[in-house]
Amino acid sequence: MIIITRPHVTDAEIDHIRERIEAVGMRTHLSRGEVRTIIGCIGDESLLAEVPLRSLPGVESVTPVLKPYKLASREFAVDRTIVRVGGRDGQATFGGRSIAVIAGPCSVESREMLLDTAHFVRDAGATMLRGGAFKPRTSPYAFQGLGAKALELLAETRAATGLPVVTEVMDTRQVDLVAEHADMLQVGARNMQNFALLAELGHVQRPILLKRGLSATIKELLMAAEYIMANGNHDVVLCERGIRTYETATRNTLDIAAIPVLKRESHLPVIVDPSHAGGDADLVAPLAFAAIAAGADGLIVEVHPNPECALSDGDQSLAPPAFTQMMAQLGAFARAAGRELEVTGAPRAVA
Amino acid sequence: MSDPAKAEALTQLAQCRDEIERIDNQIVTLLSQRLALGKRTGELKRAAGLPILDPTREAAVIRRVTERARDAGLPSEAAREVFWQIVGMSRRAQEAKE
Repeated sequence: MIIITRPHVTDAEIDHIRERIEAVGMRTHLSRGEVRTIIGCIGDESLLAEVPLRSLPGVESVTPVLKPYKLASREFAVDRTIVRVGGRDGQATFGGRSIAVIAGPCSVESREMLLDTAHFVRDAGATMLRGGAFKPRTSPYAFQGLGAKALELLAETRAATGLPVVTEVMDTRQVDLVAEHADMLQVGARNMQNFALLAELGHVQRPILLKRGLSATIKELLMAAEYIMANGNHDVVLCERGIRTYETATRNTLDIAAIPVLKRESHLPVIVDPSHAGGDADLVAPLAFAAIAAGADGLIVEVHPNPECALSDGDQSLAPPAFTQMMAQLGAFARAAGRELEVTGAPRAVA
Repeated sequence: MSDPAKAEALTQLAQCRDEIERIDNQIVTLLSQRLALGKRTGELKRAAGLPILDPTREAAVIRRVTERARDAGLPSEAAREVFWQIVGMSRRAQEAKE
């Protein structure tokens, strides 16, 4: 249930409304706009049956939220959420007018490789770096990532390039360690419904990049976001990365429609991973263009200095020239969608 | 920045951090006092035959601290979150029997 207040509602009126709702054992969430304020009610709504919400001072209207997700729902927020990642060294923004591009290798393989890739993607226009430290691989015999060593390299690379970093966290036991080194924590597709992990991420002071599970519905993705938000962390960026279908010509099928649907259903930013969606370097640019045209707030792209030698996901990684070309063309798609590519305001290389 | 100015800033930074540590210690002491009172409240509620969970009281506590936080110039939403954590901690202490 959401309560929309009258214009110019006072703090005291809002406090009173929230106290009445919380006195029956529910919790409230406040979203303030310039004119309107929305008070969202969280918990068992039948408890509110006896509370005369409509007649409380300051209340304009009371509307039920029929969706199972509440905090993530569009109705709960006056404005779209803007998630800011990073800080002192550099910043990337998701959900505003600008489109942020995250780029980097699938896995961190070595210091030299990471630094080279980071400098390159930054110069080509990326405002954030990706790089896997802990890799969820289908085979237990495949390369599993450099782990803690990779986290240190990511932090070192951020200091050298000014690019904030995102990396995947797979296990509740890794959350503190990863949060110490990374600016944004990624929940991979295979962990989208790892509810213990989601709950844990609700307690960290870092934005979360939540990837859609390979067989997850849009509703399930939003419920996963709700888990994180219900535990206290409201900085969630959703990521469409392709879903499993009967098609075998592509690794996954990019669900383009998910972008406008998610933006209709939720106030959270939505980005797209064209690398995993297609599973093929040739498909990355066309899928990226389609994503931006459909309203995505950003991209996450795999770039490797030498894809043939990549320890993981070489087939879908862009080589540097292909990334440069894609970035050069992307601006036109952004402008056609009424957006622009993000330009980092960060001080350039200090290394 | 000149070196003396930098040295002075670093000295003051260290002093600020000491002060923060001192305040954090006070917060921990106050929290443990609050929790002890919570436990005592739980015993008294049991003696009086009252339920441990009292949402009306919790909501009133939150409202009061929200107002105070706002008057003190603090971000009131963040302060509410902190106090919901404290209220939850206290409730769990009340629920725990000796």
